[in-house]
Amino acid sequence: MAIPTESLPPPGRGSTEIDFLLGAFPRGQLSEIVGSWSSGGESLLLALLARATAGGRLAALVDGADAFDPTVAAAAGADLSSLLWVRCGGEITLALRAADLLARCPGFAVVALDLGERVLTRRQPVPPAAWRRLQRAVEGSGAALVLRVPRHVAGAAAALVLEAERGRAHWVGSPRPTRLDGLLSRVRVLRSRAPAPLQAEGVWTLSWQL
Amino acid sequence: MAAMRRIGCLLAREEAFPIEEAKQRALLEVALAHSPRVESVGAGLAYLDVTGLRGLFGEEPEIGQRLCRAAADRGLAVRVGIAGSRASAIFAARWGDGVAIVPPGDEAAYLAPAPCSLLDLSPEMARLLDRWGIRTLGELARLPAAALFERLGADGPRLQALARGEDPRPLSPWAPPRVLEERVEGDWTMDTIEPLIALLADLAGRVCARLAREGLSGDAFEWSCRLGDGTSHDGRFVPAVPTADSGVVGLLLRAAFESRPPQAAVTGIALRAQPVRVPPDQETLTGSSRSSPRALAETLARLAALMGPERIGVPVLLDSHRPDAMRLAPFRLAGSLPPREGRGAGEPSPVGGEGRVRGPVLALCRLRPPRPAKVTLTAGRPVHLRSDLLTGSIVASAGPWRASGEWWCERPFFQDEWDVELEGGALCRLSHDGSAWFLAGIYD
Repeated sequence: MAIPTESLPPPGRGSTEIDFLLGAFPRGQLSEIVGSWSSGGESLLLALLARATAGGRLAALVDGADAFDPTVAAAAGADLSSLLWVRCGGEITLALRAADLLARCPGFAVVALDLGERVLTRRQPVPPAAWRRLQRAVEGSGAALVLRVPRHVAGAAAALVLEAERGRAHWVGSPRPTRLDGLLSRVRVLRSRAPAPLQAEGVWTLSWQL
Repeated sequence: MAAMRRIGCLLAREEAFPIEEAKQRALLEVALAHSPRVESVGAGLAYLDVTGLRGLFGEEPEIGQRLCRAAADRGLAVRVGIAGSRASAIFAARWGDGVAIVPPGDEAAYLAPAPCSLLDLSPEMARLLDRWGIRTLGELARLPAAALFERLGADGPRLQALARGEDPRPLSPWAPPRVLEERVEGDWTMDTIEPLIALLADLAGRVCARLAREGLSGDAFEWSCRLGDGTSHDGRFVPAVPTADSGVVGLLLRAAFESRPPQAAVTGIALRAQPVRVPPDQETLTGSSRSSPRALAETLARLAALMGPERIGVPVLLDSHRPDAMRLAPFRLAGSLPPREGRGAGEPSPVGGEGRVRGPVLALCRLRPPRPAKVTLTAGRPVHLRSDLLTGSIVASAGPWRASGEWWCERPFFQDEWDVELEGGALCRLSHDGSAWFLAGIYD
């Protein structure tokens, strides 16, 4: 595979798209960010948490795989003191119950449930009723419940489904790369029940910097 | 004629240092046992109002001796000074040995031979007075006030007044923090966890009922279990917000006891609450999803019971270059955080919030613990990765970045890190600790 040597857009480009996307997660609803490893889905979730906590609001992260890196979150501008981190150690049942408790608790702007590829295995499928239960749980609290999963699983319970696709990585250095600089990812709206601002089939290209 | 004020000073001797919180509290309790008006000044120092204590404890030398004996009973060696002001009392205590009594109205004459070092002068001021030949408080007190003001400014008259033992500052009374306690003791023993938790829930209900009756909330809860083998099982927890909800307290106690049960049969339990007064929440006009401290405390208690308290909290970065150096701290609601009205969860804050959010940052999903991996090298660079999560040819790599440190500790760290891109497009971080390769994380 040829290594692209051209520069990514300078930092700042793409922030308008990200702002737009982050503002589109509906409160009191279940949203999904789907995408495999290195698709930028986790970065989008992190940006959402950073935006919420830096704005003085509380956020909760139910970390199914115990993969959250606070150093990166702090670099993204998250106020860690406003972020409740629940470490589930790969136990999906615990993660779902914790998310259910937090989704019902008023006061959180964002409740994120991160079920990466290591947690959401096909051998242990989550029954569809679990997602509907989560959707009903969050309706009363007004939080945005965001599910990070490798593939679309919540069915009709999700009001917004964003699919992140891996773009190309950007390496600095020639002829041999000396540093990983960032990643481009494409975010597609698979489903949006909200009347605005997102329309289904919209595509955004986002640039993530290391 | 008004009664002359008399101030006592309790000063811990040098051998009692360092003064811990428990020692300072013992010192204050000694003072409080003799006078209702006590002031805590700092480590190893307390004042008490001894005016009118003669009828209870006798003359002042006797009061001083009683204070020394009471402190010694608590394991503290102290000096005592009794005088008409705070300054003269502490100077007398510092200058004397044991109990020093300054006769009423005679502070200036009593302190006159004392050295100027009692004044806690700055090094510059001490050098200046030494250059002037001023060695004692009496010499400083006798200097002309106007000339002293011209040379030293406001410090001059202030130091001169102190040298005469003049200090009009009143005592700032200290009161011990109030603790509500409920205890159960008997001739029974409990060697299983369930009845113990039921008993704790009952104690929590009683403590919370007392709190609620007085309009208070518990800021911290402590328990102490007397065990059959003569030891005790003690613990403490601090709820996310002060609470008087027995359900929340019961849940937190359950979580604590399930994660760390007593090692022997329990023969008695005491539960203590540290009460605080919490102002009622101010409701907003339109806010429907306002942060509710009670609901939050209950949710956190349920989460702690579900997950274990060590699995929830706020991340705190440690001051270390060790990879993934962080810990979890208890989640505390600093204050009421009214949510901003809006339809989008990620909307920026109207004031300042957006400014602190940096550009879009590429997230790294950490693998805890890092997964063992097999990496093939060609010309010193990784070209193939095999692990249980990811396998494939490496098409691009950057590194190694060396992370090492804390060689002075028992667990120094050393590793070389590589960022690699696999053929399928996955970006990940590899590490090599000198003997083996690991898949440390995956960029996402």
